[in-house]
Amino acid sequence: MSNTGDQSTFIVEAVRRILEESAMATLVTLVEARAMVGAKLLVDESNDRVGTLGDAALDEAVARHAQKFLASRAEAATFKVEEISGNLEAFSDARLLFERIEPEPRLVICGAGHVGASLARLAHLVGYHITLIDDRAEFVTRERFPEKEIELIAAENWSDAVSACVGRGRGVAVAVVTRGHNEDEECMRAVLAARPDYVGLIGSKRRTNIVLERLRASGFDETVLEQVRAPIGLDIGAVSPEEVALSILAEIVAERRGGTGVSLSEWRRKKK
Amino acid sequence: MSNYTFIPHPSALIPAFQMGTIAQNELYSLIAEANGRGERVVVATVAHTRGSTPQRRGAKMLFLANGATAGTVGGGCIEAEVWAEAREAMRTGKSALHHFSLTADEASEEGMVCGGTMEIFIDVWETGSDKEQF
Repeated sequence: MSNTGDQSTFIVEAVRRILEESAMATLVTLVEARAMVGAKLLVDESNDRVGTLGDAALDEAVARHAQKFLASRAEAATFKVEEISGNLEAFSDARLLFERIEPEPRLVICGAGHVGASLARLAHLVGYHITLIDDRAEFVTRERFPEKEIELIAAENWSDAVSACVGRGRGVAVAVVTRGHNEDEECMRAVLAARPDYVGLIGSKRRTNIVLERLRASGFDETVLEQVRAPIGLDIGAVSPEEVALSILAEIVAERRGGTGVSLSEWRRKKK
Repeated sequence: MSNYTFIPHPSALIPAFQMGTIAQNELYSLIAEANGRGERVVVATVAHTRGSTPQRRGAKMLFLANGATAGTVGGGCIEAEVWAEAREAMRTGKSALHHFSLTADEASEEGMVCGGTMEIFIDVWETGSDKEQF
């Protein structure tokens, strides 16, 4: 059986709604079974369901497991029915595909100078939806950035633009790479109000300390400030703006995927 | 009045078909559009991998009735076989899980980096069918 009739339409529409609302859900498909292969159940974060795998008890067990799956970092995984529930004998040899439904990751870049521009292009390649903001309109033109997935904002006022672009901050990484301290500080105030998944601030230890100290003095919470990646990026010895952008993007990916940033070959040398 | 300006992209054209990773919103929009035209859509998804494989679990490739595709499930190693199965699914309308394996020997002969096994679910999305539903 395939996704025929109304089930298909309901599932597709429900998935699109989840993505538009920047929400998350698990799409579960029966991939190996005696019957109903292709049947689907969509379970959102509040356990609301669309569709069915054809059996109420199976739907129930799958919905419970969907929340565990969502809590892991996995994008997709298969499970035997017996792995998720011991009392569904009729489906014991059946297998299910669990898939995470979530919007593509977003990256808001404050500052379209050499680093910001390189970061936008690099992150675009990696699959981020990008918003690039600058207060110099001539830096955010379509001639410089023809890619449609790079949203361009010319801002007279940093904080309004930054607040609007960061939104609630969920699934959003922010790189603050403007041309000066004052601009950085103005952006940081707007960014930290929203609590995005990742916040990085460019500059030396000393210079980023100055900005963080000013934020601290104006009452920002210590636990919030501790989360800020300042100086931004992983230590790869980056020199050129493009390399700095790579170092920043590597840190953002590591944060999202749960990576350590250490060389994968490190264990070989430690063993000796 | 807002004091920032949104700069729209000059092109209203969306390049729907691309190699590389396809974003979920694009994928499901393409399914909805094709289904809206009364067409079948075949979607291949990497369900499970073992060993060194060219794509991650969850990677997707979409096949339209007119032969257009979007996304990828892993380059040259298995794509030809997946294409063949997808064409078959487009014809029969049946979804099924397929096993693909590439031994290290085959892989190195072809000069490719992969040498694991992949399970790919080839799924058919369609609307307006007269098949009995749940």
